[in-house]
Amino acid sequence: MGKTVIEFKNVTKIYKLYKNDKRRLLAIFIKKIPHKQKKAVNNVSFKIKRGESVAIFGKNGAGKSTILKMITGVTFPTTGEIDVKGRVSALLELTTGFDPEFTGRENIYLKGRILGIKEKEIKKLEPQIVEFAELEEYIDQPVRTYSSGMKARLGFSINVNIEPEILIVDEALSVGDEKFKKKCIKKVNEITKKENVTLLFVTHTTSVAKEFCKRGMVMNNGQVVFDGNIQDAIQAYNKIIE
Amino acid sequence: MKVIKEIIKDHIAYRKQIWKLAKADLTKTYRGSALGWSWAIIKPVVTIFVYWFAFSIGLRANKPINGYDFFLWLIAGVVPWFYMGDMITTGTKCIRNYSHLVTKMKFPVSTIPTFVSISNMIISIILILIVIMIFWIFGYPPDIYMLQIPFYVLLTFIFFTLWSLFASFIGAISKDFINLVKSFVTAIFWLSGILWDADSVTIPWLRKFLNLNPVTFLVNGFRNCFINKIWFWEQPKRLMYFVIITIILLLLGIWSYKKLRKEIADVL
Repeated sequence: MGKTVIEFKNVTKIYKLYKNDKRRLLAIFIKKIPHKQKKAVNNVSFKIKRGESVAIFGKNGAGKSTILKMITGVTFPTTGEIDVKGRVSALLELTTGFDPEFTGRENIYLKGRILGIKEKEIKKLEPQIVEFAELEEYIDQPVRTYSSGMKARLGFSINVNIEPEILIVDEALSVGDEKFKKKCIKKVNEITKKENVTLLFVTHTTSVAKEFCKRGMVMNNGQVVFDGNIQDAIQAYNKIIE
Repeated sequence: MKVIKEIIKDHIAYRKQIWKLAKADLTKTYRGSALGWSWAIIKPVVTIFVYWFAFSIGLRANKPINGYDFFLWLIAGVVPWFYMGDMITTGTKCIRNYSHLVTKMKFPVSTIPTFVSISNMIISIILILIVIMIFWIFGYPPDIYMLQIPFYVLLTFIFFTLWSLFASFIGAISKDFINLVKSFVTAIFWLSGILWDADSVTIPWLRKFLNLNPVTFLVNGFRNCFINKIWFWEQPKRLMYFVIITIILLLLGIWSYKKLRKEIADVL
């Protein structure tokens, strides 16, 4: 256990909801356009240290995905501060994020380059990624021809094999068949055993979370209502969903 | 100022990725069809043929201009326009087209307009080189005025990359804006003196007004290299107007980036 790698300081995220796109366009120029506000995350603060494995529980719409998106740097807080250190690899919505016109292999390179990984390093990782994804000859076909399961396998394979420092898993393990699921769990376990890898795990299935995580956070209506031991977190979560 | 710094910093940090993504954008556009890369040539050839046919056969407007065949005059302006016309629309759509870079990973969004612009510019440069060769074949070898071509290419690139920076963020928020821009492309094309000479307009105030148009300035600039044989410093006022409009566009680009950078990921 060492340095803090993720820190949230009083983070609030408000989504602006407009009646239609026309109003949203007008709102760029005129401030007074009426809109509703939805607080997805409400004044959340927490710290996660290097090497920790944290499970985040919560009902749909509790703000889990928004928090993960803010950690990956995809979306920004309305107020508050976020500090993230290290290469984040996020398994958010695995089936998207590919360029459908390119083949699976080209997508591996494209993604690697965008993440700033050196050509040599990608080349070294490529066979590992291809093998793990189990796509065989499909790897050289355009991604648009893939089934959703194939896309998910490729996405998972890329994200776990690029040697992430912070790994975010969002319901991702529910894709694919039983065999692949087991393989994924094994791989995630393997990664998190390395000391400097931090894992964030978002799920509804508490049993899987127990395998990986020691710490659990429970979210409800945009707030963190519990943060602590995984066993207690599961109990707190079960109380909410009752 | 802070925003400019941020944009420049992103570009420097991602310079390698920008090139790679520009290359990927090119391959994506032209691959996956049987004729592949030749489409980059076929499409402009067909378009030029149509304009040439309509004007010289249909409207019989095929008088030589400045001693140059109408066909040569046509391609000297139309070919650079292809990039401009493409950039007006794809420049507006580019963030929407690359939404996975916005919503699925951490990526400096301000570089999307840049690499899309580079990818379009590469094709444009190839076509301009072909135009130079055609002039040569017709008996006009490259001369000293053609040294200005890289200068005009650069101006065109800067202007439309800034346009894209401004427009792509609004285009990401609103489809209406994309449709609005699309419906104006044809108007811009016919009003900017690409198929007719803006300097041949006889009403003085209208001629002046037309020359404020940056598209007219750029198209004329290319024709000045190929046909009119005029240096850019011989028309300092026009260059100045162009620079002023470019600066306004830069400010608009920064404004739209600042305003919408954090919002687009929630909307796309």
